[in-house]
Amino acid sequence: MIQLHKNYSLPDALADTVPVKVVSVGGAGLNALDRIVLDGLEKASVVAINTDVQSLTSSVAAHKVQLGRTRTRGLGTGGDPELGYEAAVESADEIREALTDTRMVFVCAGLGGGTGSGAAPYVAHLAREAGALVIAFVTLPFTFEGKRRATQAREALGRLNEIAHSVICFENDRMGDLVAPQAGIHHAFAMADTTISQSVRSVVNLIQRPGLIRIGFDDLLAALRVRNGRCLFGFGESDSDNRGHDALTQALKNPLMDRGRMLADATNVLVQVSGGAGMTLSEVEVLMQELGRHVNEQTQILFGAVVDGKLGDRLAVTIISSLAADEDLISESRDGATLSNVFAQPPVREQHPPPQIHIEPEAAMEPVAHEESISFEQPVAVQATPAAESMPGESEPLPVAPHKKAVPHTDEKAAAKSVPAKQEILQFEPVTRGRFEKSEPTIVEGEDLDVPTYLRKNIKVK
Amino acid sequence: MASNKLMVGLEIGTSKICVVVGEGRPDGTIKILGVGQAPSRGVRKGEIVDFETAMKCVHEAVVDAEQKSDVMIRSVYVAVAGSHLQSFNNRGCVMLPEDRDEIDERDVEDVKINAREVSIPAQNAFLHSIIQHYHVEGQDGVLNPIGMLGQKVEADFHIIHGVRTRIQNSIRCVKELPLDVEDVVFGGLASAQVVLTQHQKDLGALVIDIGGGTTDYVLYSDGVVKQSGCLALGGDHITNDISMGLRIPMARAEKLKIEEGSCILGNSLPGEMILLKDESGFAGKEIEREMLNTIIHLRVREGLELLKRGLEEEPYLTYLGAGIFITGGCSLLNGIDHLAEEIFEIPAHLAHAQTTWGVTSAVEDPQFSTAIGLVRFAQVMQTDRPRRGFRETIGKLFRMR
Repeated sequence: MIQLHKNYSLPDALADTVPVKVVSVGGAGLNALDRIVLDGLEKASVVAINTDVQSLTSSVAAHKVQLGRTRTRGLGTGGDPELGYEAAVESADEIREALTDTRMVFVCAGLGGGTGSGAAPYVAHLAREAGALVIAFVTLPFTFEGKRRATQAREALGRLNEIAHSVICFENDRMGDLVAPQAGIHHAFAMADTTISQSVRSVVNLIQRPGLIRIGFDDLLAALRVRNGRCLFGFGESDSDNRGHDALTQALKNPLMDRGRMLADATNVLVQVSGGAGMTLSEVEVLMQELGRHVNEQTQILFGAVVDGKLGDRLAVTIISSLAADEDLISESRDGATLSNVFAQPPVREQHPPPQIHIEPEAAMEPVAHEESISFEQPVAVQATPAAESMPGESEPLPVAPHKKAVPHTDEKAAAKSVPAKQEILQFEPVTRGRFEKSEPTIVEGEDLDVPTYLRKNIKVK
Repeated sequence: MASNKLMVGLEIGTSKICVVVGEGRPDGTIKILGVGQAPSRGVRKGEIVDFETAMKCVHEAVVDAEQKSDVMIRSVYVAVAGSHLQSFNNRGCVMLPEDRDEIDERDVEDVKINAREVSIPAQNAFLHSIIQHYHVEGQDGVLNPIGMLGQKVEADFHIIHGVRTRIQNSIRCVKELPLDVEDVVFGGLASAQVVLTQHQKDLGALVIDIGGGTTDYVLYSDGVVKQSGCLALGGDHITNDISMGLRIPMARAEKLKIEEGSCILGNSLPGEMILLKDESGFAGKEIEREMLNTIIHLRVREGLELLKRGLEEEPYLTYLGAGIFITGGCSLLNGIDHLAEEIFEIPAHLAHAQTTWGVTSAVEDPQFSTAIGLVRFAQVMQTDRPRRGFRETIGKLFRMR
């Protein structure tokens, strides 16, 4: 693998934009997508998929796909994943069409309901079939929504875990930590949407933004390598005087982070720091030092830094990592997998050539791993055979591996190129702080207040 | 003497350390018995940076106060400041059990704990939880819910918190002397206790305490604290600017600031010069007055504008009936009230400790506002008068060490 790194020399154009699509499935997914679009996401196109026409029409997404025109006739699925799945199968062609020409697909869905649980795994499957890397962002329902929805969600999660390259899963219950107890329920749901929106946007930015120290898809996969594990995700942004600290605190405050305590056990932690032109080296240094206290000494920190003028005074920190599954989680998702085989899988078998893509890496990708095009452009020719579903477990690491090889060229090169050009943007400590030279700087709104005002405002004295 | 208990406030400031010894009178007033002070070293921006030196200075000030007031000081109330202090408003909510509908002390205690259940950074500790208003069963503006009937009690709190270890540093410094620390109090909050009258708090007022290293502010509206905070910006910065701009030593710059400085522009004659004398009295350097004032003006304006922007995040600034009260050492700077008035577009006054008597020279000096405020704070705590604004703070937390 390492040798492949060296041999690769791809045109830089590739490094600039990876076609990315954000696909949302089901009502909750749509809500999240609206949030994402409203929050602004430039470098990716969005597709809304749902059975319910009403919610589709009210969505702000540009590209919409209605599932199951004849199955559900524009209504919802009534919380039935099988119906959701069937509806998705009926509209398979439309979904395929929507997913063409893309190398990365983010599937957002709220698991537990009909469309989200039923159709999302199928959409993920189609996306993989189209040769894209698939990352799923899903939410598990609140406990108060009932056991049935929880079981449906687990089943769907189990299937997604098999299909998608990685799954970032948010438990809605944990959102409760973010919301003040007396806040309205809409607030809690909105917070769930916001969290998904933040994570999708930051992952897209992570991959799309040309960095000083670039983070590539390989790094991302490395950070998420632990399968069935628990994804740790944190995003923080701040423009306060102590923005490095504040952004990090905010990131660690994310419900998936458990205030950074979880980080202690992670083996790979991916950190990206992005800021406007005013981001200073010392800021980054302090921030990373602070983060260092939360992680183990053995932990590998995959670090990325990005200077993006659009951020202005803000400084953003994205932390992604994963933990090996704790027992209960493992049994949950394992349960989910087996359950899905027993109960929810039947429709899969009846309806369609089984959507089992795991054999695809084994059969098709492994031998061609040395070719550059690998899976991106190659529509997967090998349609799955029914036998494939027998070994979901072993096939999992494989899809990770080939892509690991495929992506490095996008980052190492770019990083090497851009570093010398942009290095001078980083400001070092100004020399004129007088008696405050050695004290903790007072940085408010990005200005070092210890430097005399007249100097900062360029007003001539004398 | 049981009713006239001694109370001592200690402020470890950036430019000087103030100790005020006061005596509470049964009628609620305070008599100042004596003040001690010592120039401060080893403190920057309100926080101790050189432990040993700071300790010596504190000792000096305490000894000075003991001599002047002729008492033995055993325990003190300590003011803390520093940019690490943060604040926010939060509401706690408690439902009474089905079989009971009269609200008692327990519920009030519960609602307070509930209001604290917000995530502050792990290394932070609560400094104050100040009650604003209670709401009983949707009824707003309840001042004391104990004894009232209702199923649901809510309470709005203003919570001030800061980095635990940094607060502990001040405590350690005092404990090493050795003196007991009764409690730690946010400096700005202490100042506000003596600068404002209850009436002014009800009308709405903003206290800005500009000290040597920090600017503390507390905003009262409706008689309760709505906003508070601490900017690590103070008189030291002005002095530093002067020193760098005019290329004179810090000590000279400090003197120049106090004697000649003003933050009003356009008041000096064109080309008006200030003659700097050196130690021997010989004429030294000449400095243009307007330039000195420009440097000061820019710095003070920036600080106040920064403060205004921070306060404007919430709407209370528009409800200040009583106006702005500027205190602290920097309030002695010529014209600072006019500048504040111009920036905030609200009447601004220079203020010093009120409602106390005794050593008037100390009372009337805005530099002592915080230390006197600590005495007032102590008085409120000790008489345990159920007074709005204060409940026991969690000083225990720090006293454990």
